[in-house]
Amino acid sequence: MDPKLTEVSQYFERFKAACVREDIDTSANLLSQLKVLLTSFRSLPPLFEVTPNAVQELTIARDIYEHAVLLSVKMGDQDAFERDFFQLKPYYTDARKRLPRSPQEHMILGLNLLRLLVQNRIAEFHTELELLPAESLEDPCIKHAVELEQSFMEGAYNRVLTAKQTVPNQSYDYFMDLLAKTVRDEIAGCSEKAYDFLSINDARQMLLFSSDNELLKYINEEHPEWEIKDGSVIFQKAKETAPCKEIPSLQLINQTLSYARELERIV
Amino acid sequence: MAATMVSSAGGLLAMLNESHPLLKQHALLNLNNYVDQFWPEISTSVTIIESLYEDEEFDQHQRQLAALLVSKVFYYLEEFNDSLSYALGAGSLFDVSEDSDYVHTLLAKAIDEYASLKTKASECSADVESIDPRLEAIVERMLDKCITDGKYQQAMGIAIECRRLDKLEEAISRSDNVHGTLSYCIGVSHSFINRREYRCEVLRLLVNVYQKLPSPDYLSICQCLMFLDEPEGVASILEKLLRSENKDDALLAFQIAFDLVENEHQAFLLNVRDRLPTPKSQPLESANPRSTEPVSGQTEDSTASEDVPMDEGASASTTSTPQIDQSEETYSERLTKIKGILSGETSIQLTLQFLYSHNKSDLLILKAIKQSVEMRNSVCHSATIYSNAIMHAGTTVDTFLRENLDWLSRATNWAKFSATAGLGVIHRGHLQQGRSLMAPYLPQGGAGGGGSPYSEGGALYALGLIHANHGEGIKQFLRDSLRSTNVEVIQHGACLGLGLAALGTADEDIYDDIKSVLYTDSAVAGEAAGIGMGLLMVGTASEKASEMLTYAHETQHEKIIRGLALGIALTVYGREEEADTLIEQMTRDQDPIIRYGGMYALALAYGGTANNKAIRQLLHFAVSDVSDDVRRTAVLALGFVMYSEPEQTPRIVSLLSESYNPHVRYGAALAVGISCAGTGLSEAISLLEPLTSDVVDFVRQGALIAMAMVMVQMNEASDSRVGTFRRQLEKIILDKHEDTMSKMGAILASGILDAGGRNVTIRLLSKTKHDKITAVVGLAVFSQFWYWYPLIYFISLSFSATAFIGLNYDLKVPKFDFISNAKPSLFEYPKPTIVPTATSAVKLPTAVLSTSAKATKARAKKEAEQKANTEKAAAAAAGEPSSAVANTGKGKSSEKDGDSMQVDNPPEKKAEPEPSFELVTNPARVVPSQEKYIKFMEDSRYVPVKSAPSGFVLLRDLKPTEPEVLSLTDAPSSTNASPPAAAAPAPAAGGQQAMAVDDEPQPPQPFEYTS
Repeated sequence: MDPKLTEVSQYFERFKAACVREDIDTSANLLSQLKVLLTSFRSLPPLFEVTPNAVQELTIARDIYEHAVLLSVKMGDQDAFERDFFQLKPYYTDARKRLPRSPQEHMILGLNLLRLLVQNRIAEFHTELELLPAESLEDPCIKHAVELEQSFMEGAYNRVLTAKQTVPNQSYDYFMDLLAKTVRDEIAGCSEKAYDFLSINDARQMLLFSSDNELLKYINEEHPEWEIKDGSVIFQKAKETAPCKEIPSLQLINQTLSYARELERIV
Repeated sequence: MAATMVSSAGGLLAMLNESHPLLKQHALLNLNNYVDQFWPEISTSVTIIESLYEDEEFDQHQRQLAALLVSKVFYYLEEFNDSLSYALGAGSLFDVSEDSDYVHTLLAKAIDEYASLKTKASECSADVESIDPRLEAIVERMLDKCITDGKYQQAMGIAIECRRLDKLEEAISRSDNVHGTLSYCIGVSHSFINRREYRCEVLRLLVNVYQKLPSPDYLSICQCLMFLDEPEGVASILEKLLRSENKDDALLAFQIAFDLVENEHQAFLLNVRDRLPTPKSQPLESANPRSTEPVSGQTEDSTASEDVPMDEGASASTTSTPQIDQSEETYSERLTKIKGILSGETSIQLTLQFLYSHNKSDLLILKAIKQSVEMRNSVCHSATIYSNAIMHAGTTVDTFLRENLDWLSRATNWAKFSATAGLGVIHRGHLQQGRSLMAPYLPQGGAGGGGSPYSEGGALYALGLIHANHGEGIKQFLRDSLRSTNVEVIQHGACLGLGLAALGTADEDIYDDIKSVLYTDSAVAGEAAGIGMGLLMVGTASEKASEMLTYAHETQHEKIIRGLALGIALTVYGREEEADTLIEQMTRDQDPIIRYGGMYALALAYGGTANNKAIRQLLHFAVSDVSDDVRRTAVLALGFVMYSEPEQTPRIVSLLSESYNPHVRYGAALAVGISCAGTGLSEAISLLEPLTSDVVDFVRQGALIAMAMVMVQMNEASDSRVGTFRRQLEKIILDKHEDTMSKMGAILASGILDAGGRNVTIRLLSKTKHDKITAVVGLAVFSQFWYWYPLIYFISLSFSATAFIGLNYDLKVPKFDFISNAKPSLFEYPKPTIVPTATSAVKLPTAVLSTSAKATKARAKKEAEQKANTEKAAAAAAGEPSSAVANTGKGKSSEKDGDSMQVDNPPEKKAEPEPSFELVTNPARVVPSQEKYIKFMEDSRYVPVKSAPSGFVLLRDLKPTEPEVLSLTDAPSSTNASPPAAAAPAPAAGGQQAMAVDDEPQPPQPFEYTS
C-alpha cells in the first residue's frame, strides 16, 4: 500500500477517534492536516488521474470530507459546513462512475438542503433539488427537507416547528434549532409589512416567544428600528425607508430631442 | 482532458476559504488551470481572490498567481482595464509568449495603453504622470520577444506606436535585411504617424541608422533628409558621391537629384544646390552666373551636351586652365550636371521633349467641340480654349490656335486674358524660350505696343505657368512688370505669375511688392494678390498669415477676402497640427468666406494625411455650416485630406453624394475627382456616374470634370465605362438644349481626359510617397474655378508625364528596350476619332502611304531584330515565374515603339492572338497602372541604377566603349522661333511656326547647334 495513503488513513483514524471523543480542537487540527495531505493525491478532483490506488484514495478522501461536514455541524460552524460540503460534492457528482455510492450521501445532501433553508437561500435550495436524481427524492432525509420547505413557503410555521420531532438523523437537530429562528425572522418581516403596530402581547404570540423579556431582547438585537411605546410595538420607522425610484424624465426628453435634431442634420 | 472531469469549480472555490495557505495555493493553482471553463462560477468569488492578491502575508508567488487568475476572469468578463491592471500584478507569470486569446488581447491592450500614455506624455510635456514600470516591462518583454523571434516588422510597429525609438533602432539594426526593414519603416512612418514632429524624430533616427550601415542607401537617406528639410545633409552626400572615382556613384547622385526634383520642393532644392561646394580651382565663377538669366546662358553652352541647359559653369570648366588636376575637373563637370538637375531644368527639358515627341492629342475632338459650340456663348467659347490648353499642356503644340485665329479673336476682355494665358499652359516648362514666345503679348515697357491690358496680363500669368516652381530666371522680369503698371488686369496677371514662378520661396521682396498691390484695395488685383501671396509662402506657416487675415477683415471686397482666404490656407500647407490655431481662428469666423478659407486650410495642412481629426472636422462643417459655399468646400477638402488613400474616399463621401443639397453633391464629386485622380478606381467611377446626370447643372459640371480627372489616361480596354463616358461628353457638347454649365463641364472634361497629349496623369504623390507640393497647390487653386475661370489653368501644375525616361551618364537618352508584361491593348492610346467627312480625308492616303512605305521598309529590317529581341525577352521572361511564356513565339505584331512614325500604320488585319507582352523603347509612355508590368531585360546593355518602372532613371552602361544610339534629341526649340509679332493684332496671331505640327507628327528635327 502506498505510504502516503497509509499516512492518511492513520491520521484519519486519529481524526475519527477525536470526533467520537468530541474533542473539537484536536479534530479540527487533524482535519486541516488531512486536507493538506489530500492535495498531493492526483487521483482526486479536479484532476481525476487514473492511478493504481485511485479508488482507495477517492474513498478515503470522501470519508474525510463527510466527517468534516459532520464535524462542522457539531461545531455549529455554517461557513465550514459550506466549504466542506462543496469540496465533498465532486465526490458525489463527478466521481459517481468511479465509486460506489456512499451510505451517508443522502443524509449529507439533506443536511445541505436544510442549511440552505435555514439561511433562507431558497433559490439555491431549489437548484440543488433539481440536480438530484428522482430516486433520491424518495429518501427520508431529502423528503424531510422538501416537506419542510413546502410548509415554510405555505406559511404553516407551526408545522415547521413540529417537524423537529421527526428528524431522520440527530445531526439535523442543530439546523432545526436554527430553523425556528429563521421562521421567526420571516414572521417578523411579514408583520412589519402587514401591521402599523401590534400590542406586545400579540407580538409575543405572533413571534412565538414564551415571555415578554425574550421578545424585547429579540427586538433589541434584530430590529432596533422597531419602537416600543404604550405597550405596543410600532413598525412605522421601518416603513419610511426605500422611496420609490424617480424616472429621469427631463434627461430622457433632452436626449430624444437631441437625437431628432441630429437626425435632421445628417446629410 | 480534465475539462470533462469536473462539473463545477465550487469545490475549489470553497477551498479558497480554507485557513491553511497550502490549501489556498492548491485551489489557486487548479482554478488557474480551469478558469477558461469555469470563469462564470469563479467570477462570483472574484472578490475573495482579489483579497488573496492583496494579502500582504501571502507568499509573493501566490499573490501573483491570484492576480493572474483575477486578470483572466476579468478578461472573460470583458473588463479589459481591470484585467490589464491585474495582469500587471501577475508579474512574470503573465507569459507574453503564450499563444492564447487571453494573452493576445491583453498584450494588445497593454500596448495600446502604453502607446497612448507615451503619446500623451510627449504631447503635454508638463505634468507627465509616470508610467507604470510594470506596464513598460511587459511592453519591453513583448518587443524583445518580437525581435528575438525575427518578427521585426511587428517590433518596429510597436516601437513606433509606443515612441520607443531606442527599441526601433534595435529592431532595425538586428534585422537580417536592414535595407528592407528601413524602407518598410519609412513607409510606416509616412502612412501611420500622424504627428509631424514625431515623424521627423523617427526619420532622423532612420537617417542615423542608414548612415551607420556599411553600404548606405543614399536614395532613401536623401528622401528622409528632404522631409526633415536638411539641405546640408543632402549636399554633403551628393558631394561625396560626385567626388568619387567611380562613375556609378555619380550616376547614383544624379538619380538622387532626379528623385528629389520629383517632389517639387523648390526652396529645398535651391538650398541643396547652393550648398554644393564649388570646385577648388575656380572658387566663384561657377556659382555666380546662376543668378544671371539662364535664358542667355543657352547660347553659350556650345561645349556641353545638347539637351542639358548648362549654365556658364560648363563653359567655365572647359576653358579652365590645364593645371587643374583630373579629379577636380570631373567633379566640376558632374557638378554642373547635378546643378542642372536640381534646378529642375534637366527634367523639365526632357519631359518637354517627351511630351512633344509623343503627343497624341486628337485635334478632331477639339474641332468637333468648336463646331458645336455656339458663337455667342462666350462661356463655352473660352471653355474650348481652356480645353485646348489642357489637352496640349506641355507639348508646345499650338496648331489648333493657329488654325483658328479668326475664331480665337472673338475672345475679348477676360476671355482674351485666359486665351493668352493658355499659351503658357501649352508651353509649360519651355524655360528657355518662354519669354520670347510670349514677347508679342507682354507689356512693352512704356512704348505702349498697342496690346490690350487683358492680353498683357494674360501673358504675365502665362509666364508664371511656364516657369511654375522654377521661376529663378523670370522672377525679376515679373517683378518689374508688376511695379511698372497701374492697370489692375495686368497686376492681376503679374501677381498670379509671380506667385507661380516663386512658388514656396518665401521671398520677402516679392512679398512686399505683391502686398503693395493688395493695399491698393482693387478687387481684381487684390484677389490675385491674395492668391499670389499664398503661393509665395506655401508651406512656410509664416507670420504673414495673420497679417493677411487682418487685411481680409478690413477690406470690403469679397473677391479680395476670398483671394486672401485661399492665400492664408496655402501658407499652412503640410504643417498639420502646427496650423491648428490658425484653422481654429478661421473656421470660427463670422465671415463665411473666411470659414471657406478655413476649409482649404484644413485641406492643405492635412493634405494626404488622412488624419481622423481633420476628416471629422470637415464632415462636421459639411453638414452643419449655414453657408453653402463652406459646405461645398468642406466636402471638397475631404478629397485633399484623403488623396494618399484614394480607395477610402468614395466610401466616405458616398452618403454626401446623395445629399439634398446640390453644393454638397458638387463637393463630393470633386472630392472624389481630386483624391482618386488618375487612378481609374472603379468605385470612384461608380459613385460619379449617377452624378453626371444630376438634375442640377453645376453638379453635372463638377461630376464630369471629376470623372475626367479619375479616368485620365485610361482607355476602353481597361474599363469599358471610359468609352461610355467619352460618348456621353460628345453627346452633351452636341446637345443644343444642354445647360451652359454642364456643357462647359463636358468641354473641360474632354480636355482633362486627353491632357498633355494623352501622356500625362494627375498625380499628387511622388513615387516615394511624398506630397508633390506643386501638384497639390495646383489642384487646390484649380478648384477655385467656381469663382474665377482663369484659375482653371492651375490644373496643369498637377500634371506629371507618365514616362519612363532612361538616362546615361551624359544625361542623354540612349536607345534601350524593356518589357511591359501585359497585353499592349490594355495601355495603348485611345483610338483617334474618325474623320467625319470625306473632304478632309482625301489627302490623308498620300500621307499615310509615305510613312507606311517607309515603315514597311523599316519593318522588314526590324522584324528580324524584333524577333531576336522577343526571343531574348522570352528568355528573360522565362526566368520570372509569373510571366506567360506560352505565346512568345509570335509576339512580333503590333510594335508600339516610341517612334511616332508607325502609329499611323493601319493595324494588321490578321486575326492573330494578341501577344501577352510588348517591347517598349526608352523613352516610353508608362501609365501608372502599367507600372507593375514593367520588367527590365537581364542581358540588356543598360542596367538601371534603381529599378523604378517610371520616371527618370539613370542607366549604367555595361559596354561603355561601344558607340551609343541616342533617341529623343528633337527638342522643340529653336532660338529663331521668335514670332514676327508686331503686326499681329489678334491675341494669338503671333504664330510660333517653328514647329509646324500637322495632324501627322513631324519627323524628328535635328537639334540646332548655335555656335
